[in-house]
Formats: sequence, structure tokens, C-alpha cells
Amino acid sequence: MFMAKLREAVICFKAGRVTLPYPAAPHDPEPGFRGKITIDPDLCFGCGGCANVCPAGVIFLHDAEQHARILELHWSRCTYCGRCAEVCPEDAIALTQMFETATDRAEDMVISLKVFMGPCQRCGRCFLPPTVLDQMDVAGFHEAGGGRP
Amino acid sequence: MAVAEGAMARVVDGITDRLGQQLIEASLSPPDTLQLVIDPSAVRAATEQLVRGLGARFLISIGVDRRLLAGDFGVVHLFSMDADHLFVALDCSAAADDPRIDSITGVVPGAAWSEREFRDAVGVEPVGHPDPRRLMLADDWPEGLYPLRRDVPYNIDPPPAEGVRPRFAAPPEGASVLAMGPFYPVLEEPAYFRLFVEGETIVGCDYRGFYNHRGIEKLGDSTLTYNEVPYLAERICGICGFIHSSCYCQAVEKAAGIEVPRRARFLRTLLLEVERIHSHLLWLGIAGHIIGFDTVLMQAWRIREPVMWLAEEISGNRKTYGMNTIGGVRRDVPAALIPKLLATVAEVERELTAVRDAVVTDTTVHARTRNVGRLETAWAREVCVVGPPARASNVAIDARLDHPYAAYDEIVPKICTDEGGDTWARVVVRLNEAFESIRLVRETLAHMPDGPVLTEVSEPIPAGRLGISTVEAPRGEAVHAVLTGEDNRPHRWRVRAPTYPNLQAVPAMIQNQMIADVPITLGSLDPCFSCTERVEAVDVTSGAIRVYSRRELASLAKRGGAGR
Repeated sequence: MFMAKLREAVICFKAGRVTLPYPAAPHDPEPGFRGKITIDPDLCFGCGGCANVCPAGVIFLHDAEQHARILELHWSRCTYCGRCAEVCPEDAIALTQMFETATDRAEDMVISLKVFMGPCQRCGRCFLPPTVLDQMDVAGFHEAGGGRP
Repeated sequence: MAVAEGAMARVVDGITDRLGQQLIEASLSPPDTLQLVIDPSAVRAATEQLVRGLGARFLISIGVDRRLLAGDFGVVHLFSMDADHLFVALDCSAAADDPRIDSITGVVPGAAWSEREFRDAVGVEPVGHPDPRRLMLADDWPEGLYPLRRDVPYNIDPPPAEGVRPRFAAPPEGASVLAMGPFYPVLEEPAYFRLFVEGETIVGCDYRGFYNHRGIEKLGDSTLTYNEVPYLAERICGICGFIHSSCYCQAVEKAAGIEVPRRARFLRTLLLEVERIHSHLLWLGIAGHIIGFDTVLMQAWRIREPVMWLAEEISGNRKTYGMNTIGGVRRDVPAALIPKLLATVAEVERELTAVRDAVVTDTTVHARTRNVGRLETAWAREVCVVGPPARASNVAIDARLDHPYAAYDEIVPKICTDEGGDTWARVVVRLNEAFESIRLVRETLAHMPDGPVLTEVSEPIPAGRLGISTVEAPRGEAVHAVLTGEDNRPHRWRVRAPTYPNLQAVPAMIQNQMIADVPITLGSLDPCFSCTERVEAVDVTSGAIRVYSRRELASLAKRGGAGR
């Protein structure tokens, strides 16, 4: 009994203080961490592949006018799985190292992008999905009724 | 793993002996599920023959709405022939206009909850069930509305039924009722035990749970597609998420006949064992906390933390790895990370050895755990307990050996059993398993093959196939059954978390115990109520530095941070 308590005390003393001083000191996640999503508006061409595969269904597409498509990411319910970045044919979507995303303004949780579209003259579709399990159920941009069926 | 022809023939012969013409059809659903279509009136006889005659172990029952496919409801009782590495599915039909089937709870006590659940979910009545109360549905859910029927939309929001109360069991004569729950400080999750006590001694108990049911299975077969489900499956449990996504993916891969690359199987094994190490450390801490020994809590969680960081480095997140997808895994482990991985597990091994050596000689720990919450071997088998609680009662079952998946056909674990059957035995089993997992991580890394980590799925998954997969979670064996469907999604996806059978053993474990021993007895099951009830657990990474007052928080909540 006494020996057990002594051993336990040694473990505690040897370990010392391990709590990090966060948030007084910054804490960087490990490389490869899946944090807040960014979309590069110069690269996105509005194919809707991201909206098609998003398990949480938080990426929405609206066709605003003849040559414009609105892409909205409501990331308050984003699960940071990174499927959107994986299927993006232009690598326009990236997951950053940012995890301090608390906010008191609801509008901060929406990323909106207006993409000017030109119809694909060869195939009528924008890109080939990676596997049959991710078949596009987003129609061509004229008929699209949003990111989900 | 190939199924021996002899085992299949033995099962079919055994059932034919008992049932004769009532066995309608027997077929092998590749690779390892024997599907027996039987006359529903013979379900009890068939179950008896399987369990008593052939030594099968009951897993789950699955209620399926097959009205669009075959014009009936289906009830599939699933069994495991552990020694033969074979699953046996007893497929019974229930009429669409008056769905009912004989209850098998009298033969297998462990089937009690499964039968109550298919009654709640699809409305097939288990005739002769000893306790036909609601299990899964809330008490104010309207009568006659069965959420897992195909014609009920996933986002239905019916008005609550009026004037209903939970149906509680009456205490025995002379006993008082002590409520433990629905929110009880040491359990962290809602579960409502009504303990029937005489003085300090427990003479019986009643359980009402499923306060966390959120309809995950319904989402899987109504609105998500095959490749989206793994991320939801991962969120069934906040501790063993990777187990559920692996189990789901394996079930679909089996149903569709998708071959997973060898390196992907090794990577799954690696992460499954990493998850077991951190889960057992977490449990050790919580068990210490429950008996008021917070040094163990602090030190076990300190040792655990580097494992979480490692998982973050491998997968991109400390808990919801997001690694699994149908056909393999999404990220490879770079060779540069392997020395760090080995160093971390070596450090965990050294530290955990120190903690174990201190704890095993500590008489206070013995006083709180020896002869507490005893579960006899025979009853453990009857209620189909799984995982460390089963192995601590000397029931040698382990899904990694019984139905080898991922790379466990090459990386063979040593089974850790104990004869004690009490809480102390469960401590010992889990400690040994943590060390065994460290060995398995080393062995997996040493034998890791090169090659791709993901198979291209080139053809649509055919409908109507049944895929069964089990994975040994830290808490016990998880079972996922997928019946493939049209529209690129499962027709039915059934999940059984390990706590589901284990909780059913609680009444026997706390019988004649002291009230003060109930929390650690429950804790010794490592219960995970949310998984049992298939909740969506949300992990919130908070970066708030400012301290909010209560009023500020309330006003924030009213304004609503959520986007939609």
C-alpha cells in the first residue's frame, strides 16, 4: 500500500506540469491538420463537385443569372472531412491550419462566391467525378436546383 | 478469409434436421455470410438449433422494410459461428398488412433489445416478448409511426403524442426506488437507471435509455450516398469513430466484392490499434475518476495525449480521422512519420508500465473493484456480452480473431482473458490489451507493405446484396450490416455498438451489490450510450479567450451562431 502510493507520487513528480499555456501562448496544430476551409475565387470555375460530395450538405449552388453561379459554404456545420478539397479539379479549395473559428456573428460562418460561367462546349459537364460512388447529381449549370437532390 | 465448406454444410444439415421443409433456401452471400431463408413460424426452433445445437452466438436482429422489393417486411436474425469464421443470417418474412414474428428472446435473452428495436423502427411485432416496452423511440413519439419504414421521410417532425408517460417496471414488494439518471454526474451521457433497493442493497433495476437517439441509420439509407456515410458513421462514437467507419466500409466492400489494397488494410489496422491504445487509457482514467482516484485520471490522460497528437499528424484530426472511404483509406502514412510513431508508442509503453505497477499493488483500487459487479461466464454468454467484459468473464471472443478483417489475418493479436468476472478482471484485461495493442502497432509497422492505399471503384454497387462486418472496438465487437439498395445508397444500414449487448448485462451485474458500487460497475463496461443510441456527437474546437458572463452567453445563444 505504502509502496503503491510512493510509486504514484513519483509518477506525478516526474511528469511535472504538462498543461500547455494555451491560449496565452499560441498552439499550432500538427502539419496536415484539417482546419477552416478556404476557396480561391480565381481558380473556382463553378463545377459543383464539392457540393456534390459534401457529406454534411453545407455547400450550396444557385444559378443567379445566365452566366453567373453562386457558391455558398455554410461552414457552421462543416465537419472538416476535406472531401471538397479532394475532388476539386482546380485545387481551388484548401483546408488551412486555422482552428480558432469561434465567432458571435452568424454571417461569419458563410463563405459566398459568385462565379462567372462559360458553358463547356465539348461535354456540357464540368468534370468527371473520381468514382461511380460520387456520380454527379448536380445538373448542368442552367438547370441546377442547388447542391443536393 | 475463406469459409470452410464443411462448416457451411454442417450448419445447413443441422438446420435441415430440425426444420425439414421449413428451411426454404440456403445460400452463401460472399465472402462469409450464410443466408438461410426460413419459414417464419420456425424461427424459434431454428434459433434454438443454432444456439444450443451448433454453438452460434447471437449478434443482432435487423428489421427491414422490403415492401418495395419483395412486398413484405424482413426480420434478419444474425448469428456468428466464431470458430468457423462464419456469419449466419436467419431471414424471416413478415406480412406487409399484419407484420408479426415469434420472439426469440426466450431462447436468447440477448435478443431482447434487438426485438424491441425492430418493433419500434419498422413495426414488426415480436409475439411473446417478455418486456415489449418501447426501447428506441421517445415516449411522446406518436403510436403507429415507424421511422425506419421507407415511406417515412428522414426529416419528418410529427406533433408529439399527448398525455404519455414512460412505462416503468414496478419495484419488487418492499423495495424502494432510487433514481440514477437520466443525468448522472459520473456517466457523462444520459441513461436512466431506476435502482430497486432494500437499504443499501440492490434487488433489481429498470433501464430507460435512448435519450440520444438521432436517427443516424435513417440518414444513411435516405439522404446520404455510399461515400458520404463513412463520415456520419465516424460520428456515431466520439471515442471509437474509426471503428465505425471501418466497419461500415468493410460491410459495403464485402457486399460489393471490392478488393481493398493490402497497404490500406494495414493502415486500417494501425489506426484501429492506435485508437484502442488511447481508448483504454481514457477508460483507465475515467475508472480512476469514478472511484475518486483522480491521480489515475490525470496521469492516464497525460500519457494518452501524445497518442492523440500522433493521430492528428497521421490523419489531420485528433479524433474524427476522416481516413476511411469505400475501397481503402484517403491518406497514406509518410515513411518520415514512422520513427516518431515508434517513439511515441515506446514512451506510452514505458509510462503505462509505471502506472500499472503502481496501480496493481494499490489496495484502495482492489477494495473498490474486487468482487464488484461480477458477471458469471454462463450469463455473459446468454446475454451475448462482447469485448473486455466478456473476456474478463472468460468468454474468449474477439472479432479480430473470430472474423479477421483489415490485416488481422497476418497481424495476429493474442487474446487477453481473465477468469475473475469482476471489475478488477476488467481492469486487468484492458491493461493487457493496451500493451498488446502497442505490440500490434510495432508489428504492423514492421510488416507494412508498399503499394496503393485506395481501389478505384469502377462499377456501381449492385442492389439487394447483404454485407456483414464486425470490428473489435475497444469496448467490444461492433457490428454493421448493410443491405445495398438503389440510388447509390444502402437500402438498410444497421449498426450495433458494443455497449448495446453489454448494457443488457447490467441488471445481473449489480444484483445484490451496494449502491456505491453501481457507478464503477457501469463504468467497468466502458459504456458509450450515444453509440448505442446512434447519436451524432459534435466535437467543438473552441478558441474563445474572453470569459463570457452567463447573461452574455444566453443572449449569444438567442442570436444563434448556426448558419441555417
